[in-house]
Amino acid sequence: MRKLADKVLSMDRRVIYLLMAAAALLPFVTGPLGLPSRVSPEVKAVYDRIESLPEGSPFLISMDFDPASKPELYPMAEALVRHAFRKNLRIIGMNLWVTGSGMAEKILSDVAEEYGKEYGKDYVYLGWAPGATNVILGLGQDIYKTYPKDYYGNETSGMSVLEGVRTLKDIPFMVDLAAGDPGIETWVVYGKAKSMAGGCTAVIAPGMYAFLNSGQLVGLIGGMRGAAEYELLLKEMGKATVGMDIQSTTHVLILGLILLSNFAFFSTRRRG
Amino acid sequence: MFLRQYVPMAIAFVIGVAFAVQYYVPHPASEGLLTTVNDWLIVVSGFSMVLGLASLMGSHWAKVRRAVPGWGYSLVVFLGILGTLAVGIVSKGKMFAGEGLTLTALGWVYDNMLVPLQGTVFSLLAFFMASATFRTFRARNLEAGLLLTAAFLVMLGHVPLGEYIWDKLLGFLPSKADQVMGWIMNVPNMAAKRGILLGVGLGAIATSLKIIFGIERAYMGEGG
Amino acid sequence: MSPELLGAWVAAGLTLAIFSFLYRDNPFFKFGEHLYIGISVGYSLTLLIFNFMIPKWWTPLFREGRMSLLVPTVLGLLIWTRFFPRFSWLSRWAFAFIVGFGAGITIPRMISNFIFRQVESTAVPLVSRGPGGVSFGWEDLSNFLIAFGVLSVLTYFFFSVEHKGPIRPLARAGVLFLMVSFGASFGYTVMARVSLLFGRMYDLVEYSSRGYGYATLILLGIMVAVFSAQALSKRREGE
Repeated sequence: MRKLADKVLSMDRRVIYLLMAAAALLPFVTGPLGLPSRVSPEVKAVYDRIESLPEGSPFLISMDFDPASKPELYPMAEALVRHAFRKNLRIIGMNLWVTGSGMAEKILSDVAEEYGKEYGKDYVYLGWAPGATNVILGLGQDIYKTYPKDYYGNETSGMSVLEGVRTLKDIPFMVDLAAGDPGIETWVVYGKAKSMAGGCTAVIAPGMYAFLNSGQLVGLIGGMRGAAEYELLLKEMGKATVGMDIQSTTHVLILGLILLSNFAFFSTRRRG
Repeated sequence: MFLRQYVPMAIAFVIGVAFAVQYYVPHPASEGLLTTVNDWLIVVSGFSMVLGLASLMGSHWAKVRRAVPGWGYSLVVFLGILGTLAVGIVSKGKMFAGEGLTLTALGWVYDNMLVPLQGTVFSLLAFFMASATFRTFRARNLEAGLLLTAAFLVMLGHVPLGEYIWDKLLGFLPSKADQVMGWIMNVPNMAAKRGILLGVGLGAIATSLKIIFGIERAYMGEGG
Repeated sequence: MSPELLGAWVAAGLTLAIFSFLYRDNPFFKFGEHLYIGISVGYSLTLLIFNFMIPKWWTPLFREGRMSLLVPTVLGLLIWTRFFPRFSWLSRWAFAFIVGFGAGITIPRMISNFIFRQVESTAVPLVSRGPGGVSFGWEDLSNFLIAFGVLSVLTYFFFSVEHKGPIRPLARAGVLFLMVSFGASFGYTVMARVSLLFGRMYDLVEYSSRGYGYATLILLGIMVAVFSAQALSKRREGE
């Protein structure tokens, strides 16, 4: 028994890698597991806030992430943009992470096409600008000075999508999708958002509960699970919902590994 | 000494005090000043970004020039930079061509090279984490036991299969797995994170004061 | 070959090259890793030029004659003196301006938007007052735990006082709260990393289909063959 436990404990790490790869591939072989997820109050709060906005309200979405967190935040951004277009909100898109620009442009363009929305009237992509803190601060002062031109080089002043908007205070609701710094914290400290929610990678989500509790965030969408919950609320199953199956298999594998290693560890110790 | 040391310290002091005070003066002139200087600094950030990118290129260029072992890989870095810059210029920095959703050359490089490369580099961590968990996650004492229990419960509550297992095995309990996870996140986790955040926030204020009063001079680089 | 098909082969190849690190460090991985650095720098430079330098600096300053942009231009050029060791001390003026501004804007905002708000929502009543008088329920217990947790964690991090006497158990409670939060963070981190793995697996599975010419399978086969040949020749050398 002890020998076996020793063997287990000194297993080559590549065996674990193989097990992980197998667990990640399993749902592709078996097909959807079809297990239901429950919607958490923090995600529901974001959904309800967008639902409560009157048609035509401006809505700012800052996509502050890069390809390293695409599987978590891309579906989240898609779901939010979809929701906003369904509610006929005027979307103002931007991003603070330079290598995320391509994804932000793609999300807005794809979903806009899907809903037949017109650029400049229904949505605008302001793009990326260097100096995140200054950009956030600037938006609280004067959007047209911070972004005199949009991503495509058009003049922002006079765009009908921005009608009635001069600073962040004129935007009733915004969501920041963040993968780190600059992100939600930067917006909370330097932004003058009227009302704000956050969406973020699972790595930084635990820290964001402090802002949720203080009411500085009205809601929080954390990681792929949060994105899947949002897709569930929209009744539009996307990649996050599909991804939850892999989450299930790999999480259960890791839980099993924790139990196995503790069992083996204590069985060698007790007798030794 | 005067120009190299005192002038920058004086600049940091004057600008720092001015913009700390500005916050409490909501006069249009003071707001206008903030808007203007802030806009300047966005432009300056662009210049400093060039500095950062150039110094990275410089270190790889040095490797190529001195032909240190593995210099070929530094050449790959340069090929990547120049190639992307070239397609970027051809595509005028845009992902899509024209009105439709056809990818430009830059869009192609972004979608088929940058996104998979960066995504894969970071997804390696999934494997390392699984292995590290197996090796180090042991309930040796109370602290480790708490850490492990919290991680275990959060992971169970986080995935549908975990919730399913909880319902089957512990369905008789009044709370579901996601509710237990929600409580851990919103109460003990939140309290600890708030403690850390408050510490970090106070630290940022202290550092800012040190900069204004010339105690913290790391921004001056060598000899500061 | 259509751009889409070529893209699938390139993406699958680069993904597998990076994953090959799991077997061991090797030239495929090194190539992918360095290419990643190069492309991300190239992409950042491209965006800097087309979304910033041209529309927000060059055009307004030199075409539209917005002279106020001369100030940041001078500051920016001062930063660039770092490229010339003899004049690099001049960059300190620009950096002093930047960090001075950063420090100035941070102090009041950090206090009012951060410290005050966080403290305010910690200091809440610890009992509920209803029509039936004062009560202490589950919600109140949670509020108490939050207040106690924040206080104990701050005590733990406060090194100016030696952790003995009554401070000791409080700091120790802080450690326990921290452990629970690290555990929670770990659980969340697992989800984050697995999400990335899902993203890559999804693409690899897609690219292994017939429509993409079995790109993943063929490239994986080639890579395995190369590694096997290497291992074999090494073994022969050993003999």
